[in-house]
Amino acid sequence: MTVKVGDEIPELVKHPTTRQLVQYAGAQGDFYEIHYDQAFAQGVGLPGVILHGLLKAAFLGQLVTDWLGDRGTLTTFEVSYRGIDVPGRLYRGRGRVTKVEGEEVELEVWGEDPDGQRTTIGNAAVKMFP
Amino acid sequence: MSATTSLVERLRARIGKAEPATEATVEAGHLKRFVEAIGDPNPRWVHEAPPTFLVALVPVSMHLEEAEEYGKGWLNGGNRFEYIEPVKVGDRITATGRVADVYEKTGGSGSLLFIIFETEYVNQHGRTVAKLRGTAIRR
Repeated sequence: MTVKVGDEIPELVKHPTTRQLVQYAGAQGDFYEIHYDQAFAQGVGLPGVILHGLLKAAFLGQLVTDWLGDRGTLTTFEVSYRGIDVPGRLYRGRGRVTKVEGEEVELEVWGEDPDGQRTTIGNAAVKMFP
Repeated sequence: MSATTSLVERLRARIGKAEPATEATVEAGHLKRFVEAIGDPNPRWVHEAPPTFLVALVPVSMHLEEAEEYGKGWLNGGNRFEYIEPVKVGDRITATGRVADVYEKTGGSGSLLFIIFETEYVNQHGRTVAKLRGTAIRR
C-alpha cells in the first residue's frame, strides 16, 4: 500500500466512561482527583471529571499504530491538549499524511469531540520498513 | 506578587538539574492492565509497550509539589515522545527527569505557570530507548 501526502488514515472512535478513567488512573498511577471526583473537579472550575490528557494521547497512539501495523516504526509522537473531554461523549481520533520523504512519513493527528472541535492536536513521524 | 515571583525563581533554580533516577521493570501484568485501560486490543502489546506506556512505568511528575502553591489546579499542556528502541516485557528501565524550563504567562483569564520537564529512559543494556518532553501547567 503506497502512502501519499493527503491520505486520511482510518478514524478511531472511543466511548470513554468514568469507569475507564478510574481504570486508567490505576494503570497509569495518576490519581489526580479531577479524573474521578466530580465535586473536586467542579471545585477547580471544571464542568465535572475530565479525561486524562495522556489517555487521549494513548487513543491517538492507537490511531497511528493501528494504521501503521507492521509496515514501519513510530519515531516521534507529540500531542497538545487544547480542550477538555468528558466521559459519556465520544472521542474521535483522526489523522492525515502530511509528508512522505523516502522511508520517512509524517502525519498530523487530532482528537475531536462530538461537535467536531479539535480538543487534542498532534503529529507523528514514522519510518517505514523497506 | 512577590510570593509568586519567588516561587517561580525557586522553581527556575532547578532547571537542568537531574532528579534522582527511578528504576522499574516492564511487567506483563501491568502492561495488560494498561492496554485494557486504554482499550487497545492490539496483540502486539502483550510483549511490547504501546506508545504512551512509559508514563505509567515511572512517575513523570517531577516532585514539583512546591508548584502547587501556584493557582488551584494542574493541567497537562502536552507531551512529546521520541522512540529509539522498542520497550519489551522484562526490560529494566531507568528514568531520569529534569526540569527544562519554568515560566509564567499572564493572559486575559489570569496567570499560568508553565513547567517543561524532560525524561530520558535507559534500558538494562545502557541504551536510551525513549525520551519524553512534557508541559505541566498550574492555573
